[in-house]
Amino acid sequence: MPNTQIGNPKTPAAQSSGTTMSDMDRITDILSTEKYLTDGFNIATREASHDSLHQAIMTCLTETHQCARDIYNVMFQQGIYTLEAAQQPKLDQAYQKFNSYLSQIPYSGQMQ
Amino acid sequence: MKGASIMQQQMTGQSQAQQPMLTTPPQVITGKDLGYLEDQMNWLLVAAKKCSHYAQECTDPQIKQIIDQAGQMHQRHYNTLLQHCQNNNNSVTASLPAQ
Repeated sequence: MPNTQIGNPKTPAAQSSGTTMSDMDRITDILSTEKYLTDGFNIATREASHDSLHQAIMTCLTETHQCARDIYNVMFQQGIYTLEAAQQPKLDQAYQKFNSYLSQIPYSGQMQ
Repeated sequence: MKGASIMQQQMTGQSQAQQPMLTTPPQVITGKDLGYLEDQMNWLLVAAKKCSHYAQECTDPQIKQIIDQAGQMHQRHYNTLLQHCQNNNNSVTASLPAQ
């Protein structure tokens, strides 16, 4: 079996430190904050009345998504997140199944 | 419903025939908009404060920097939304066609 675990070793900052807040706790909390904000901005974007307000909140939404992504990448670099690759047979199986469903979509003949 | 009735007036050419049709909502902050703006500015205020506070406590320079960047972005977004609260609703609504 090939190695399916993907990740970096934990840096010292990525260790938790008992009952006090560590850098890992702080960055985890900030990522949660960004997630919360994107949810809020998403609804506000959808509900906004005039176009310039809609555009302003949309910009806040996309920039906050990017910020959350940048934070996630830093956490990945520091070894806070590890990922696991799916098993190849299951991936192949999913491809075959959904590739066969393509014929159900009326537009599929027009794709490309 | 309102839009439909305006179009009908235009097509039938009745008394208020000169009224222009609104294609998009005018630059008015609605009561609903204001509610959302206030919510968002409250979240951003707390988020910016939290980032600034956490960044000061961080020991790892990379984590400190990314948290500081997030805090500055929240402050910028706060200012953007605040500017939308400076809208002159009175002057915009005054120029709208009468219903």
